[in-house]
Amino acid sequence: MTARAGLRARLPAGLGLNLGVLALLALLVAAPLMTILMQTLDPERIGAWSDVLASPLSRNLFWLPALNTMALGLGVAAGCVLIGGFLAWLVVMTDMPFRGLVGFLATLPFMIPSFATALAWGTVFRNGRVGGGGGLLEGMGIAVPDALAWGMTPTMIVLIAHYYALGFTVIAAALATVNGDLVEAAQMTGASRRRVLFGIVLPVVMPALIAGGSLCFAGAVSNFAAPALLGLPVRMQTLSTRLFGMIEIGQVERGYVLAILLIGLSAVFLALGNRLLAGRRSFATISGKGGRARRFALGRARGPLTALALLICLVTTILPILLLIAASLAPMASSLFSGWTLHFWIGEADPAFARGQAGIFNNPQLLRALTLTVAIGAVVAFLANVIGILVAVALTRHRLRGISEAVSQLSFLPMLLPGIAFGAAYIALYGAPIGPLPALYGTSVLLALALTAAMLPFAVQTGRATVAQISGDIDEAARLTGAGFFRRIGAITLPLASRGLLASLLLCFVNVISDLAIVVLLYTPTTPLLSVLSYRYASDGFHQFANAVTLVILSISTLAAGLATLLRGRNRPWLSS
Amino acid sequence: MITLSHLGKTFGGAQAVSDISLTVPEGAFLVLLGPSGCGKTTILRMLAGLEHPTAGEIRFGDTAVADASRGYVMEPGSRNAGLVFQSYALWPHMTVAGNVDWPLRVANLGREERRARAAEAMEMLGVAGLAARYPGEISGGQQQRVAIARMIAPRPRVLLFDEPLSNLDATLRVEMRTELMRVHRATGATAVYVTHDQIEAMTMATHVAVMNGGRIEQFDPPERLLSDPASAFVARFIGTPPANLIPVQAGAWFGRMPDPALRGATGHGMVRAEDLALADAPGPDTFAAQPVEVVPMAGRRLVTGLAEGQRVTAVTDLAGPVPSELHFRLPPAPAAIFDPKGNRLS
Repeated sequence: MTARAGLRARLPAGLGLNLGVLALLALLVAAPLMTILMQTLDPERIGAWSDVLASPLSRNLFWLPALNTMALGLGVAAGCVLIGGFLAWLVVMTDMPFRGLVGFLATLPFMIPSFATALAWGTVFRNGRVGGGGGLLEGMGIAVPDALAWGMTPTMIVLIAHYYALGFTVIAAALATVNGDLVEAAQMTGASRRRVLFGIVLPVVMPALIAGGSLCFAGAVSNFAAPALLGLPVRMQTLSTRLFGMIEIGQVERGYVLAILLIGLSAVFLALGNRLLAGRRSFATISGKGGRARRFALGRARGPLTALALLICLVTTILPILLLIAASLAPMASSLFSGWTLHFWIGEADPAFARGQAGIFNNPQLLRALTLTVAIGAVVAFLANVIGILVAVALTRHRLRGISEAVSQLSFLPMLLPGIAFGAAYIALYGAPIGPLPALYGTSVLLALALTAAMLPFAVQTGRATVAQISGDIDEAARLTGAGFFRRIGAITLPLASRGLLASLLLCFVNVISDLAIVVLLYTPTTPLLSVLSYRYASDGFHQFANAVTLVILSISTLAAGLATLLRGRNRPWLSS
Repeated sequence: MITLSHLGKTFGGAQAVSDISLTVPEGAFLVLLGPSGCGKTTILRMLAGLEHPTAGEIRFGDTAVADASRGYVMEPGSRNAGLVFQSYALWPHMTVAGNVDWPLRVANLGREERRARAAEAMEMLGVAGLAARYPGEISGGQQQRVAIARMIAPRPRVLLFDEPLSNLDATLRVEMRTELMRVHRATGATAVYVTHDQIEAMTMATHVAVMNGGRIEQFDPPERLLSDPASAFVARFIGTPPANLIPVQAGAWFGRMPDPALRGATGHGMVRAEDLALADAPGPDTFAAQPVEVVPMAGRRLVTGLAEGQRVTAVTDLAGPVPSELHFRLPPAPAAIFDPKGNRLS
């Protein structure tokens, strides 16, 4: 007892906890990345670098996909900042009616997996170019040009429709902090509304615009589903689809090199955004009595702008879902509203129909995928949040020089890593046996590990927010009673943080079950997941089945997300008048 | 000259300000003084043009800037008035010089004129050396000076201040009080200043409107508030220390010490701390109290005791230890008498 007490006195408090979470993060995040890098630097395989970067193949292998990826990223970032910023301005700063509704709808698209939006796009705009039936427009006798049916344009539009919600959230939060006084001080000078907007409001929220833009950029360049569904049929490759293709055809080293390059590209742009942010002075507004922000009167533009905002919201949230529902019932997408049948949902296999495919609920794979997806979602949400709380406690209560920085960086890193590259890194490390441990490839453990690591940034972020809400004094008061670390976590921190934690669990769950990019490389027929199943159906041309499976995912995630929203309460400060 | 006539403001049915009428001459320093929620900031914001009155009229000189009966409101920018916010509201993305310059740009002044005026304003407030810094890089006191420089650079005729010193520490506050008075004199403009700190009001104002519950309790020069408080509220609010309001019942202090000077009144008798003395022993005009605290002040001591649940303070020359029981000696007559509702009786 005395020896232990003596040892404790010499070691800094929380050292064990810090080292523990550091080791966990090293295994989950650092090790796979190191492995993928080391494997491509292996003397026998180092040739993959020159294959990719400087060989007759490299134009198609890397440069064209990289160019497409960049174009996609920049276009999506610009579009998201524009649309998200426009909606945020309307909701936060103006007297537009239905602000609450628009503010709610504008956060939803991010909850809808991008493959759902991509599939919905296909049901309307698909043309006969790559075989299979056309979409709704062709059925109505309108010829859809290839540029609108396939490739860059539809991919970009679908991704903007998905990611603008991110831009909206970031920008709306920033606009809400623009002190009402700042605007009033400008009004006192007699400046016009336009001048106040461009001279004061925009520059103050510029950091948020840049941050929102770079998040959308990172999301777009790492997205797999949209370019795979809308670009691949016409051979438009992005780095993520190329990387997927390489690994699928067994050219693993080239795939790994592409993964590293994709990580690099995304990192360079995020760093650039950070540079821009760091170059500016901190705009944290000086505290004081907040002051009610006066809303800009829209005047005559009120009607049209409201209509436009509602239109954007409906087209990106409810419309795709309705289209998917119709398309999962109609035998032909070209006549979306006739001949509806439940065959694609519950039909028996019938050689005369849908090439003998049974309805999804008669497909044993689907039922297995359903249970596995939900199970993995639950396990991952739990694991990620447990680690998230531990990391949060270590970071907020027991900061240690050196270690804490590493913990913080490592737990945030997966945020910057494109999901598909992350998947590749997990294959590289855990795909082969390590010492006495068996290879994990083809097991659900590998899926769970990779997804847990990918969810860490969210879990840590919410964990830190919840732990930070609980004042250190509360924990210290418990410490004075002699309660140990885990006792305090269980009796003090967890009960106090339970609401936020439960919401975080549910959101993690939603992210996991609608993820495609990470799992598309890791899945095997023995570990089917709903999102992969939907993707497989779609790439094999069974669109109705793909739509039906996507709807199953959507209904589960809507339930969970709705529950999370209820638990969170109305945590949208920009809606208060 | 600023004139308010029957000014009123309701927020969704709640009456924030009602029936405010007062006039101050050109160059005056008007302080709106009162506890939080008394409507003083609402009046200031109506003067600035950031809120619209629901009743009454505001005139700057001969110009009506707001008239609720006509539904007329002049835009904030056209009123030739400047406002210093409690939060300072410096634009965080502009340097100090940029902050001072921006209003001049909006006013479409020429480059030379702008440079000269901005430099003059920054010189006057002693922030010229900070011109290239951003608001986030300077201290609270410096931000305050920049906010004032920004306000005076366009040379407004009306200077509005919304509790500008409340975020500063005590030493800086005293320093900035002097600074503000200097700026006010130098510009010759009319100032309206909102505060809950009666010391600020007493030191800076030429006119004070003491406010309570959206109404003016008393509108007078500072000395008159002290010498002649119009209500018990004002008597309790003003003075360092504030006067004692001792309960009287049917012409007797505490209902048991009859005094013809009270003229049979019921309510409160006002006894200033300097009129109250400490007695060595009980007497016909003394009452006993438990000692509560002793504060040394300007070479004398403020002795506060608790008498029948009532705090009573006297300015004394008491030396040595405080006795375990105090005896306060009442003056021959109270300075004022208030009825139970706080209205002045005499």
